Amino acid sequence: MEALDRAWRLWVGIILAGMVVTACVLGFVVVPLVQGGGPGFDAFTAICRAIGINLAPREAPRAAAPAQPASGVAWNSKTFGALAHGDKAAGAKFAQDTCIACHAPDGPPPDPSIPRLAGQSSFAIYKQLQDFKSSTRINEIMSGLAKAMTDTQIADVAAYYSSLARLDLDARHPAFAGPEIEALVERGDATRGVPPCASCHAATSGGPIETPTLTGQSPQYVAAALKDFAEGQRRNDIYGRMRGIAAKLTPAEMTLLGDYYTTPH
Amino acid sequence: MLAARRLVLAHLWTAFVVFAAAAVLGAWQMWVRSPLAAPFSTPDNYYLSVTAHGAAMAYVLTTFFIMGFGYYVAETALERTLPSMRWAWLGFALAIFGTAMTVLTVLSGRASVLYTFYPPLTASPFFYVGLVLVVVGSWIWCVLMILAMAQWKRANPGRPVPLAMFATVSNAVMWLWTTAGVAVELLFIVIPASLGLTETVDVGLTRTLFSWTLHAIVYFWLIPAYIAFYTMAPQAAGGRLYSDSMGRLSFILFLVYSLPVGLHHLFMDPEHSTGFKFVQMSLTVLVTVPTLLTVFTITASMEIAGRMRGGTGLFGWIGALPWRRPMVLATGLAFFMLWFGGGGGLVNMSYGMNAMVHNTSWVTAHFHLIFGGTVVMMYFAIAYEIWPRLTGRATQAPQLQCAQLWLWAIGMMVMTVPWHWLGLEGQWRRVAHFDYADPAIASWGPWVDVSVAGGAILLASALLFIWNLARFHADQAAKLTPVPPQRYAVAVHPPDHVPAALNGFALWNVVVLVLMAVAYGFPLAQFFIEAPPQAIVHHVDRAG
Repeated sequence: MEALDRAWRLWVGIILAGMVVTACVLGFVVVPLVQGGGPGFDAFTAICRAIGINLAPREAPRAAAPAQPASGVAWNSKTFGALAHGDKAAGAKFAQDTCIACHAPDGPPPDPSIPRLAGQSSFAIYKQLQDFKSSTRINEIMSGLAKAMTDTQIADVAAYYSSLARLDLDARHPAFAGPEIEALVERGDATRGVPPCASCHAATSGGPIETPTLTGQSPQYVAAALKDFAEGQRRNDIYGRMRGIAAKLTPAEMTLLGDYYTTPH
Repeated sequence: MLAARRLVLAHLWTAFVVFAAAAVLGAWQMWVRSPLAAPFSTPDNYYLSVTAHGAAMAYVLTTFFIMGFGYYVAETALERTLPSMRWAWLGFALAIFGTAMTVLTVLSGRASVLYTFYPPLTASPFFYVGLVLVVVGSWIWCVLMILAMAQWKRANPGRPVPLAMFATVSNAVMWLWTTAGVAVELLFIVIPASLGLTETVDVGLTRTLFSWTLHAIVYFWLIPAYIAFYTMAPQAAGGRLYSDSMGRLSFILFLVYSLPVGLHHLFMDPEHSTGFKFVQMSLTVLVTVPTLLTVFTITASMEIAGRMRGGTGLFGWIGALPWRRPMVLATGLAFFMLWFGGGGGLVNMSYGMNAMVHNTSWVTAHFHLIFGGTVVMMYFAIAYEIWPRLTGRATQAPQLQCAQLWLWAIGMMVMTVPWHWLGLEGQWRRVAHFDYADPAIASWGPWVDVSVAGGAILLASALLFIWNLARFHADQAAKLTPVPPQRYAVAVHPPDHVPAALNGFALWNVVVLVLMAVAYGFPLAQFFIEAPPQAIVHHVDRAG
């Protein structure tokens, strides 16, 4: 029996080694050499890439011009920590003194050009106020007010407004805007490379964290924001996402999208 | 009567009750995806249901069934009591507690991340902790199985371990290897993120760790089916097992080749190089070897039975088999579906063809056909085989059992064949809603409707299965005295002694270690050599 056991060990070892060597030679040498010619790699680079070793310099190429970030907000531990410590009561007090004349805690704003903040995502409010503060977004009233706010006050106000009763995040009963606009919201328009609005602006979407809630905003505000993005007047959207999308929309679509996201009161 | 009777029944009933509930969800999901108007159809409900259905079928049904069946095999094949009933019950209690925690979290809508998790989506920590408890319960089972075999070997030096137990222990050993990947993923990355201790996760690393588990877990589910093929089906057909050694070799090859192949689930992922994907694809091809060995051995065993029953000619033995016996019928139906499911699997594991079917309904259809068509089909047959011995009662209606198996097979084919086709048409998976008014996909509608009908047939079969089992407990008239012992198929040449390599797992653990080091060493190490960008944790249990 012992001789048989030895033979088993030996042959298992030989078969295993043969198998692994064959697979490695094919995967790491033959295939990269045969296919590496296409992209124009030399043999050594092709083999290294097949293994997963990147020979290219590790530092990303730098442009001569300084970077101009769309926003100064980075979603990192520090930001999340600041938001998590936002004090609703302090935010309410601050809002009472400074904000509620325009951004009422209930009901629509006094002027359709002002966004409704009650129930808005705290991440969205935080980012917009920080952007006003850092001048990556400009507004004649808000820029001055935000520059006077501390980071703590911004987090407090964001916590306060996001805690207020919100409208339904999804436009479940949108105002009538026509089937074409509904299709644009739900499916986008592949021919123009416009993604569906609902892929980010919906309660269960996996959009960027700072995505604002659109339901309940006035049609004028949504349409004006789209116009500003399209014309490059507003440029604090990370990666230019909204600038890219809005530039492909017609003025009529912007108006109708504003109608779509208005929840009748 | 078995000493572990109550233990086995507790495990199997838990498995089947959860299975029946998950079958209801599955049928509803098919309905939601179809052009027919379904009740409760919202994306939230859909993803909640998919998470519940997947976790129930993939983790709860399988783990409880395999544990219960393992205890049954350990007592009946080794003809000795379990090493520790107390530990076995503790494992059961942990797994039950974990299941309750997971199910409640999913139903509360705080864990709709699907059963394969998909970080950086992050659910409530209770979801993951519940699943970890289920796995810890199953680890106790693994240790008990390994101990039971070791004790038997000490008491019977030099004798070959009965094939059913050898296979069960191969599954226990494989499960310990298998769960290492997901355990590391959950304990060190996902659970800390869900608790808010970390804000970012390395998605590539979590996907790689999950892939470690993702293929072998399928063989964990499958091995009880193969145990039934080798040790129950030839016996039920009135024949003999063609080769005991072939069985041992098959189970060993499953242990060896099911593990270093998980990257074939990540062919389209960017975090791994082509070379390692190629190596793991090559190893995946070898998984077909034990499957083909089994198809050959069991077909030969069935031919022996058919000829012993008077069948003649090239195919005459097939008609002579006792198809009215549930175990024989289930084996035939499972083999039929294994051809289709296995064929689809060959497409998935081929690096090039995978690109065609990636993220389409083809993949969903494939794993339903393999899991439902072969794995669950044989779970049914095993239940029908062992229930008389667990309850001490004989069935009054074997024809109802056969009808249930037929319904399951028909439903599975009616559901999955159109589903495969839709995958080739490009229908994407993990989508809650299709707008069939859109001309681009309008032609899919009728195919999905057929799948809905298949789902309804499957649901009817699942409920009939529960009814069939419940009858054993209700029917006082059919009492068996004495209860017949479980008999496993005898080989044509019963082994007198076998080499150590075919009677234990020491050598094979070394082989697995070497293969895992080759297949996963660098693919895992690369994340630490040069840390890639991290993703922000996206908590689905917190309103944004």
